[in-house]
Amino acid sequence: MKKQKMFLRMISASLIRRRSRMLVALLAIAVGATILSGLVTIYYDVPRQMGEQFRNYGANMIFTPSEADALTRKDIEAGLSHIPADQVVGCAPYRYEGVTIVERPYMAAGTDLSEVQKTSPYWNVDGEWPSASGEILVGKNVASTFAVKPGDTMTLSYALQNPDGTAATADEARDIPTNDVKFNVTGILDTGGNEEDYVFISVEDMTSLTGNDGGFDVAELSVSASSEELQRYVDNINDEKTAVSSRLVKRVTQSENTVLSKLQALVFLVTAIVLLLTMICVATTMMAVVTERRKEVGLRKALGASDGSIIMEFMGEGLLLGGVGGLLGSFLGFAFAQAVSVNVFNSSITFHFLLVPLTILVSILVTGISCILPVRSAIDIDPALVLKGE
Amino acid sequence: MFFRMLRGALFRQKSKMIMIAITIALGASLATAMLNIMFDVGDKMNQELKTYGANITVVPKASSVLNGLYEMDEEDSSAYLKEEELGKIKTIFWAFNIVDFSPFVNTTATLNSKPVKTVGTWYNHHLALPTGEELDAGVTSLRSWWDIKDGKWIDEQNTDSDKVAMVGTVLAEREGVKAGDSITLSTSHGTETLTVSGIFDAGGDEDEQIYTTLAVAQRLSSKAGQLDSIEVSALTTPDNELAVKAAKEGPASLTPKEYETWYCTAYVSSICYQIQEVITDSVAAPVRQVADSEGNIMEKTELLMILITILSLLGSALGISNLVTASVMERSNEIGLMKAVGARDRQVTGLVLTEILITAIIGGAAGYLMGYGFAQIIGHTVFNSSIEMKPMVIPIVAVLIVIVTLIGSIPAIRMMQRLRPAEVLHGR
Repeated sequence: MKKQKMFLRMISASLIRRRSRMLVALLAIAVGATILSGLVTIYYDVPRQMGEQFRNYGANMIFTPSEADALTRKDIEAGLSHIPADQVVGCAPYRYEGVTIVERPYMAAGTDLSEVQKTSPYWNVDGEWPSASGEILVGKNVASTFAVKPGDTMTLSYALQNPDGTAATADEARDIPTNDVKFNVTGILDTGGNEEDYVFISVEDMTSLTGNDGGFDVAELSVSASSEELQRYVDNINDEKTAVSSRLVKRVTQSENTVLSKLQALVFLVTAIVLLLTMICVATTMMAVVTERRKEVGLRKALGASDGSIIMEFMGEGLLLGGVGGLLGSFLGFAFAQAVSVNVFNSSITFHFLLVPLTILVSILVTGISCILPVRSAIDIDPALVLKGE
Repeated sequence: MFFRMLRGALFRQKSKMIMIAITIALGASLATAMLNIMFDVGDKMNQELKTYGANITVVPKASSVLNGLYEMDEEDSSAYLKEEELGKIKTIFWAFNIVDFSPFVNTTATLNSKPVKTVGTWYNHHLALPTGEELDAGVTSLRSWWDIKDGKWIDEQNTDSDKVAMVGTVLAEREGVKAGDSITLSTSHGTETLTVSGIFDAGGDEDEQIYTTLAVAQRLSSKAGQLDSIEVSALTTPDNELAVKAAKEGPASLTPKEYETWYCTAYVSSICYQIQEVITDSVAAPVRQVADSEGNIMEKTELLMILITILSLLGSALGISNLVTASVMERSNEIGLMKAVGARDRQVTGLVLTEILITAIIGGAAGYLMGYGFAQIIGHTVFNSSIEMKPMVIPIVAVLIVIVTLIGSIPAIRMMQRLRPAEVLHGR
């Protein structure tokens, strides 16, 4: 009992009376712990955050009708039910119909344009995205053919007796009764791809233009998940043999896999090296602080303290310093990781509670080991020599 | 006397000075490695993002207005690019940034009396450029996501005959074609019998097409020396305001100074513009799906690395200054003695600072070399190529180390000046 009291008294006395030195040690440990918890948090969060960035490449999964000619909204929802809702970034169904514009055949797509903005973030619209009924988004090539600008109007003609969806040629269109609908051009679409040859209208406008609700030809999905998960969803959907058959857009999924794994490896190695160096840095600082107290070790030995009790005391100090520093560091590190996440990815991260004990444990270990080495060497020397000053 | 004391401190307190030097070396190596990686990560990620394929497509001027659905009527389209001009792509200002490109000729041929879209292109076409550079260009790398299910890629360099083809997996299944088989394609311009080199799974429309060599497709469509399009994969810089302005309003809207900056930066729009300059009657446009996403991801990666670098720089700075503080404090006895025998504050400060700076320079130099090693380890493990060591990192690290060491000495120096010799020598 008495011994324990003395032990605590010596630790607290050495921490309080040697305030400035202990502050130095504590700062070193806290910095190390901050870097540890900050980097580990970032390392765990980067794949998820970067994965979201990769959704910029657009749809990575598509639904097509498996047997019927078209997909209904219900079919698409049935397919979607196999994918966790929080992973679905967007799902844009498309219905393609041949229309004529000033007697030339074109392809018109009826789609949910607010979903398209999510599945194809790279679409560059000069003007505004259509938001109301009777508005149309015109591909760049179509727009330059007819020299239309946002604000102009454009008339789409749909040949009513051509219900199979094939494009009516200009000659046929003349003899067949057509349904003409005038649209306001709100924006010109620039993608550098095939989309520039199409015009895009809302699903409702497509229904009123064609006079029927023909269902969708294809649905594009952007799903934020790893390639294994994606493959599993696809297999699940196809195994169930519903009206939907699904497949991955290989170009997007495969490439994402390659690039993301490189990125992850990069962050991992950087984290490992930074941590290694930081820990050595913390250790040298601790060693410097402890080495300074060789005289104290010598004095105590001369007064009859056992080696074990001296080591115990230094370890107790290290434990306390490591614990406090680690605790400080784990919160500072989270603050740093949060700042990185907000600045780079505009989103916040979750706090990993498991990291707190881990950070504290590592801090205590590093502090303990770096305390022990100089103390042991001081103990091994004859106290007389140490007290004399070498 | 000053130098004698300096030497004495450096040599007699060897172990202590080595400890400081090691810590500074660690900090410096961290800074060196992180800064070098940060400066190079853009280039490296850019290379990796090339797996998404071409980011620029070049089409003939007339057809860029009216392709799309008219693609079916290829026989009528008179607009084409000239094959002999292909090499010029590697002569533009940013030639070094063009990592890959491939020409395409599209036609519709008949296989087993059914129409099949047939594409002629390069696979691993060997180019020896006038600059002495050598390049294997073609779709083998531009379509890196293709899965070869049966057989192998067409190897242009090791086959004598150009009569080879690759068949999309859907088409191959429908027609019962396997690698090694012979298929006969015919058009109104002729008939070709081709050996199937491989069956590919592209996960897209290509799965119902036949890919063959450029020469075969040109013969089948009687387009000798003509091309329908070129896909170019180029390393680009993410767009900024200037690039957006140039792309929107045309290079003519820029002031001469802006134009020069724009032309001499590897924006996707300026590379497109330069390609248009060398290929007659062509329109080069960025493939937004690839070009925009690339810019976005690069930006995020660079920002991420910058922030991690800042964290590790801060960490190493604090670590170094901490140790410097600790080591000076420890010498209060010695400093007290010096003051007692009449040394002035300035002299003591000068001595301690010189000691530490010498140690810092030695440690910093060692640290730079270590950092070089770490950067190369990361470069080779992650990207299979070495990280380019930017000379500008050396002064940054040097200045950083000196500043950090000096700042680390400030609390120690203040303590030294407040030190009362009698108290210290007395033992508290």
